[in-house]
Amino acid sequence: MIDKIRAKARELLESGQVHCFIGYEEGTRGKVRPAFIYEPQDADRLIWDERCTYNLVTYLHQFQSAPNPRPGGVRETPPPVGILVKPCDSRSLNVLFHEEQVEREGVYVVGLTCQGVKVNGQPQARCQRCAERVPLVYDLVLGGVPKTVGREDYADVVKLEGLSPGERLAFWTKEFDRCIRCYACRQACPACYCFECVAEQLDPPWMGIAIDLPQKQFFHVMRAYHLAGRCSGCNACEEACPMGIPLSLLNRKIAREVEALFGYKAGQDAQTPPPLATFKKEEELSL
Amino acid sequence: MSAENRAQETRGQGDKETRRGTPTMSEANGTMNIATRDDVAAWLDGLSRDLTLIAPKAVEDRVLYRPVAGSAEIAFDFGKADLPAKEYFLPSTHVLFSVEKDKEGLRVEEPSLEEGRVLFGLRPCDARALRVLDALFLKEPVDPYYAERRERTTLIGLACREMGEECFCTSLGLAPDDASDVDLMLTEVGGGRQEEGKGYAVQVVTAKGEAILGNLRLREIAGALPEPAVREKTPVLEAEAWSRYFDHAFWARLADRCLSCRLCTYVCPTCRCFDVRDYETPNRGVERLQAWDSCMAENYRRIAGGHDPRPTKAQRLRNRFYCKFCYYPQDFGPIACVGCGRCIARCPVNVDVVEVLQNVATL
Amino acid sequence: MAVNPYRPYLGTLVGVRDLATDIKMFQVALDGPEESAGFTYWPGQFAFVSAFGVGEAPFGLASTLDRGSVLEFAVNRVGTVTSALHRLGEGDVVGVRGPFGNWFPMDEMRDKHIILLGGGIGGAPLRPVIHTVLDHRADYGKLTILWAARLPSLLIFTDEFDDWRAAPNTALHVTVDQGDEAWTGNVGLITELLEKVAPSPENAVTITCGPPIMIKFTLLTLEKLGFARDQMFVTLEAKMKCGIGKCGRCNLGEKFVCTDGPVFSYAEISQFLESF
Repeated sequence: MIDKIRAKARELLESGQVHCFIGYEEGTRGKVRPAFIYEPQDADRLIWDERCTYNLVTYLHQFQSAPNPRPGGVRETPPPVGILVKPCDSRSLNVLFHEEQVEREGVYVVGLTCQGVKVNGQPQARCQRCAERVPLVYDLVLGGVPKTVGREDYADVVKLEGLSPGERLAFWTKEFDRCIRCYACRQACPACYCFECVAEQLDPPWMGIAIDLPQKQFFHVMRAYHLAGRCSGCNACEEACPMGIPLSLLNRKIAREVEALFGYKAGQDAQTPPPLATFKKEEELSL
Repeated sequence: MSAENRAQETRGQGDKETRRGTPTMSEANGTMNIATRDDVAAWLDGLSRDLTLIAPKAVEDRVLYRPVAGSAEIAFDFGKADLPAKEYFLPSTHVLFSVEKDKEGLRVEEPSLEEGRVLFGLRPCDARALRVLDALFLKEPVDPYYAERRERTTLIGLACREMGEECFCTSLGLAPDDASDVDLMLTEVGGGRQEEGKGYAVQVVTAKGEAILGNLRLREIAGALPEPAVREKTPVLEAEAWSRYFDHAFWARLADRCLSCRLCTYVCPTCRCFDVRDYETPNRGVERLQAWDSCMAENYRRIAGGHDPRPTKAQRLRNRFYCKFCYYPQDFGPIACVGCGRCIARCPVNVDVVEVLQNVATL
Repeated sequence: MAVNPYRPYLGTLVGVRDLATDIKMFQVALDGPEESAGFTYWPGQFAFVSAFGVGEAPFGLASTLDRGSVLEFAVNRVGTVTSALHRLGEGDVVGVRGPFGNWFPMDEMRDKHIILLGGGIGGAPLRPVIHTVLDHRADYGKLTILWAARLPSLLIFTDEFDDWRAAPNTALHVTVDQGDEAWTGNVGLITELLEKVAPSPENAVTITCGPPIMIKFTLLTLEKLGFARDQMFVTLEAKMKCGIGKCGRCNLGEKFVCTDGPVFSYAEISQFLESF
């Protein structure tokens, strides 16, 4: 399959159809890292294997301005890019298409079917919960017919819900205590693209600069709410976190609520309006 | 009674005097002063009664330097703490002063600083990092908060038996068993730690370390401190030469995958950029807080009017490497990197400082 | 605690007046005779002014010791700290931390033709140079002042223009980027005015202060007029948090604007790895 990926990237770059192709490449120390291929001959750097866990969709934001934008300059048509997506990543892509953060015509999507990826040799739990094995949006799909399909049963979320409020607070306090407010979770997330994050806004100062428990709790809960109906469960946040905080639990708790209330899962397509950005006349309002 | 005589008395019979300030004295003599793990634990418990004891502690699946109530909480068998001990000298958040209103007007109150502290289990890289920070914070005008924390903390180092996966301290002129930056240095001896008779070799490095030795039972045995297992060195370009590559396209390509988060700067033992801001509190008046900040943050250099000399992440990422390897040494002396490798281990997108150094050496 | 460079002096606002749209002049008398007498500074230096409860920001000192112990700052309302300061009035307490930074080479400027180019709020740190020259007129050569702003309503120290024009061997040229109905003076960029005035570089020193883009183009124009890079000085601005070279924020390459500057010569700036 890797030959087909490289061939496609090479072709897209040679023809000028894309300015850059975003994929994966071999990093140092046995790690895989995002690759940005600008020249056709560099397409051979691309790899694809079960270590390719990272969600590359977040990088589309930086291509939304032309290279070397001048401050205050006029926004030009962004150069087209090619991108490699797994099924989970494709859900993030749909969210961005719908929110008009990325133009569909500006991205050539090479989708890959996926049986799951691993971190440090361990199969990721999220892959077992993943109901999609074929990307939901693509210009070209590569890979074999998937053999199994996962199912999201929210088992770990339900377990957490079974705890008393006091126990749940103790759990999250223990987790957030380790947070260092590095914002790796936010930066890795494709759906976090605000020019000025609430967490860093000075006027009004919603959150202070303090790296202490109240601010950290506020940040994570606030971010989870801002992702309600938008988080596609790609797990980039939890993977990026240096302190091993189980962020996906929080995001999936809210995703479960959204599913229960609105029957909606983020990223299934780019057309269905997300429930929290929509108002229907038939909505039940219990006031 | 002189400090020397007091030390001899408390160490029991047959012990040779360990010369202060020359950590390798015992090596030269062919002897080591050994304490068992249990004795060290008991000694630390004793210290924790009068001083705040900070030591490596297991926190979920991480090991962090944390205040501990006693030795039972210490993760003795740890490799490298996931966060450096920087927090205890440059806190992630602290109050510089508070301003309160009273009958006469406004009054500025400075916080009372901490009691004495002992920091146990400091790896040589993290200890060297404090020297790197000293070069800045103890330079005139002295940062009194930092100075007081340094003054009131006794450092008990723990030498590394081997360099870790991402470690590259030797490339920066450090050694995994370098005792120069701590007050007492402990080295695991005997291979196993649970076995009877095995334990830690204890070296007294400074008078401050001597002063807390107290009644730690030491036994002199023949033998030399074990040599740590080291890794191949990476070439590090000298500070002045870095200016040649400032405009190289390498930096923009490297920055493509950078997320512009703050992770590397916050896990780094030598990064020190900070933010300062006032907050009104319900009952403590106005507090001026100092908190960690990061040159990697998108808005780091943006002034209120909107001007920003580093608007792109390529400029910010380049600045981070230049600050560490080019500017800091020119301004303050040491390179602002101790080769601990935490940024390498934790960067989500594999921005690897060793790889950068290797590339810069060949640009 | 030992001497604490992060701790501000307390001062009282003894005067607040409008200088221009969104620009106010703050006059601060430091509380305590020791603090007040001990606060010695030179043209070009800056201090942090605190609006307690919000924070502090650096401002060029717009006053001179010669003319009294009251400290003067011109504050342009653009962000949270400056907005908070603008809400204060006479009698309110502020914090002052400083003086910091280096200063203009007034000694080297003796007997020379001094050319000052101030754009908008950038004129504020040049005011102490003007006052020093005027108060010690015989020590300095000709004084040429080029003063600019985007709009007439943004010109600062207009109430002093007559004094400056009246001083011996002193010329004032004013321009705005865009006039208004009442404006009868020059319209055009300061670089155009500079080319019109075309001062000679002989035995001259220039000091430019204003927005970065204005500084950059002014330096280019001065160079075109034959000025050497070590004859041209600027005072730079940067986001700062400590003013004492600790917080790491204001560096341009290995230089810190707060300790190696804010006054730099163009020769020095040309060596910077980074652009301001």
